[in-house]
Amino acid sequence: MTRSGEEQLVASQNRDGGWGAQEGRASSTEITALATLALGRLDTPAARASATHGVRWLAARQHDDGGWPVSARVDEGSWATALAVLALNALGHEPARAVRGARWLVRRVPRTLGMASSLLHRFAPSSLAVRLDPDLKGWAWTADAASFVEPTCYVLLALKGLRRQLQGAAVAERIDEAERMVYDRMCRDGGWNYGNSTVLEAELWPYADVTALALLALADHPGREANQRSLRALRGMLQRVDSGLSVAWATLCFAAYGEDPAPWRRRLVERYAQNGFLGETRAVALALLALTGGAEVFRT
Amino acid sequence: MRLDRRAFLAGALAAGAISTAHGCVNAPRWERRAVRQPSRSRVAILSAGAYDGRLVDVVLRGLRLFGLALTAKRVVLKPNFVEHDPNGVVNTHPALVAAAIEAFRRAGARHVVVAEGPGHYRDTEHLLTATGLHAVLREHRTRYVDLNNDNARPLRLGSHYTGLGHLYLPETLLEADLLVSMPKLKTHHWAGVTLSLKNMFGCIPGAIYGWPKNVLHWAGIHESILDINSTLPVPRFAIVDGIVGMEGNGPIQGEARRCGALVFGDDPVAVDATAARLMTIDPRKIRYLEEAGRFLGNIVEERIDQVGEPIDRLRQDFRVLPRFSALKSFV
Repeated sequence: MTRSGEEQLVASQNRDGGWGAQEGRASSTEITALATLALGRLDTPAARASATHGVRWLAARQHDDGGWPVSARVDEGSWATALAVLALNALGHEPARAVRGARWLVRRVPRTLGMASSLLHRFAPSSLAVRLDPDLKGWAWTADAASFVEPTCYVLLALKGLRRQLQGAAVAERIDEAERMVYDRMCRDGGWNYGNSTVLEAELWPYADVTALALLALADHPGREANQRSLRALRGMLQRVDSGLSVAWATLCFAAYGEDPAPWRRRLVERYAQNGFLGETRAVALALLALTGGAEVFRT
Repeated sequence: MRLDRRAFLAGALAAGAISTAHGCVNAPRWERRAVRQPSRSRVAILSAGAYDGRLVDVVLRGLRLFGLALTAKRVVLKPNFVEHDPNGVVNTHPALVAAAIEAFRRAGARHVVVAEGPGHYRDTEHLLTATGLHAVLREHRTRYVDLNNDNARPLRLGSHYTGLGHLYLPETLLEADLLVSMPKLKTHHWAGVTLSLKNMFGCIPGAIYGWPKNVLHWAGIHESILDINSTLPVPRFAIVDGIVGMEGNGPIQGEARRCGALVFGDDPVAVDATAARLMTIDPRKIRYLEEAGRFLGNIVEERIDQVGEPIDRLRQDFRVLPRFSALKSFV
């Protein structure tokens, strides 16, 4: 699949150098970052040329303040900044841009639920409709919104990869609090969904892709009980989930935790042969990463 | 959710303050271009006992009751696909989507595509394959558009309940000749009910607004439903999957409730009001529906010509969470 995935990514690159979620869609920062990351690790002339073009797309879209928009069609800096930072840092291109992006992320503070929710959480937690600590801050999808698991995990991966360049207590404190926020949102039997473990007393179920991503972001704490419980939960979920996206994230996750990724890689290859991941560029890029030892990109 | 209630309360206080200051309680909060309320609306309730091959004829019969001009038109079907729950009734049934694809084609539509932007779940490949929708799309050679990742354009809001100013909306919808909302007949633990208007939350691209589309929750669910529906500049139709609905803690963790009905209409407000009555829920007590009834469509029974099955023949007493017991107080 490595060859055909590479060919698919190269062929689906837009003329502006970026990638969209599917072939023909406008270039987006998230997808361009992941495709560039995947191709940038391959040693073929076509992949190298394509990745160079991707890096140029990313460099040209960074705002003066350091953030990236989700696409060229949207003005505001966005959650996708974390993925641009991650890609540029992992490939060793444009290091100053990566650091500037990371600083933008550190300045970005999510909305919290306010004093009333905070007091209720402390003194009458069962009166809250959602079971979470409303004071813990991670990162949000958009400005003026609350913390959620997936954007927080992307930022954790980006900032942890740049720890040496981002020295200072403020960064360490943001990372520590964001980790606590992610653990706080974990589902009862392990694993994560978008960010609520319980709503109106009902337990919500975890998602395989988010669980694997969260475990990657927390991979520097492999021995914690929560990590181990979530690894078990992820294995259970993968008995029912076969999609390229989920299995690719899971392969990267298991490799980061020192497990043999070979069986998961075989599943990825089989699935790709079956349905091409329905043409989803993100899944193809992550699968390429998973097949080429890309877990090191996410090493925290 | 605390977010919603707090935002809701803040919005209500702000609205109250503004109204008092201007001495004009209930002043319109919509643009003139957003007004779509007809003098009368037609809603059809058709009986459908099962998710099988006979559904095509039922859907076709429903479409013909409205005399839609579909020849050579681009039709976008927007079902409600939230998450895959093998034991649940969370999503619009794929067999109904299949029947709608076939029926719209037989009625003359040139292009029929299926489009959805799930609010929580990003693994589209899993959602499509596990729910069986992908098999339907393949069998009927129909394109699927992931609205979460579609190209999007900003549009000025048609009403001003959220204060967001504009919303990015997917080009696939903006270029359609007809947008067909195909919700499941469900209760909803924040909004009361989720029907064809609430189903339009799935039109908002997650790539821009996130999963969930949290900024809309801060702005208020009711407010967001109104602003999204007043802003979509596309002719609308609705087909509600009420063959088996969901009661209790919907939209995900409720229980199945058989109703045996499909609800059709070209006024989504009237469709939702009728579908709510089918669940024995008072639509006038659903805040977004009551407000939509002022400019987007009709909720008053006297202004709705209900055809097909009499509502009383198929009405079911859908259970609601205790916090929504007031919705049933008209019974």
